[in-house]
Amino acid sequence: MSFEEFQNNARLYVIGALESDELTEFENARKEFGQKGEDYIGECYALHEAFALSLQPAKASAAIKDRLMTMVRERKNS
Amino acid sequence: MQPRTNHAFEAEHPISRPLAVAPLPDPSVPSDLDLMRGIQAEDPEALSQLYDRYNGILKALILRVVHNEAEADDLLQEIFMEIWNQAQNFSAQKGKPLGWMVTLARRRAIDGLRKKQAYARAEERLQVQTEQQPDAWVHNTTEEEIALGDTRVLLRNVIRRLPIAQQEAVELAFFRGMSQREIAANTNTPLGTVKTRLELGLKKIYDGLKELKDEL
Repeated sequence: MSFEEFQNNARLYVIGALESDELTEFENARKEFGQKGEDYIGECYALHEAFALSLQPAKASAAIKDRLMTMVRERKNS
Repeated sequence: MQPRTNHAFEAEHPISRPLAVAPLPDPSVPSDLDLMRGIQAEDPEALSQLYDRYNGILKALILRVVHNEAEADDLLQEIFMEIWNQAQNFSAQKGKPLGWMVTLARRRAIDGLRKKQAYARAEERLQVQTEQQPDAWVHNTTEEEIALGDTRVLLRNVIRRLPIAQQEAVELAFFRGMSQREIAANTNTPLGTVKTRLELGLKKIYDGLKELKDEL
């Protein structure tokens, strides 16, 4: 697998879109490309942020934060 | 085909202030990383601030997956609880806090969707249901009504400039967690075409992101 093919597959990999046969091939190439490959995969995770930031923020119910903070404080004190 | 340039971008989507000048961070406001470190040190106030900063973005992401307000609120609470419980697994060397939170939220939301779909499939044995199609980005027409930050507007534009078929493939893969085969079956499209659409769409978004980073 060339590095360009690896890059294409890395972008599919981070969103979980590789098929199982492709995943095996990708994992082999990942070992072959070593740190360079890992660095590229790390960069691809920025796609997740991009998708989230492209959405219009939604308003959460006010009660959610109260419930969350109560649970967190209880967990911390237990 | 002309390469996408910043000038073309700005001409099409004029903005009021120059992109090259990024606002300086306010030293009195803790960074995301400061807040993550606070959470790792079990400081509830850090989680409270992180929640205030990102609940809107994460709720939007979850909602895009599950399409149900009440479920999205429940999942949002579970995800922030998971952020609290799993904070020790976050490593600044591997990425930014927002990326980690989005990855976590997406996985949790897709799990929730799959459970719901499994339940729905069981119900289908008793009654015929029609599968709800996801809204593609292209169908969101409220952008002008919403005051978004420059980065957000530009990111949205990067995605919206993709051909509809590529947007749909990326949408189904990212927000629905579908495999290429599932997308092919869902859209009656040959598998090879789905792969090409995903590859092209993701490459354009990735390149657009790099362009934005250079600019900001």
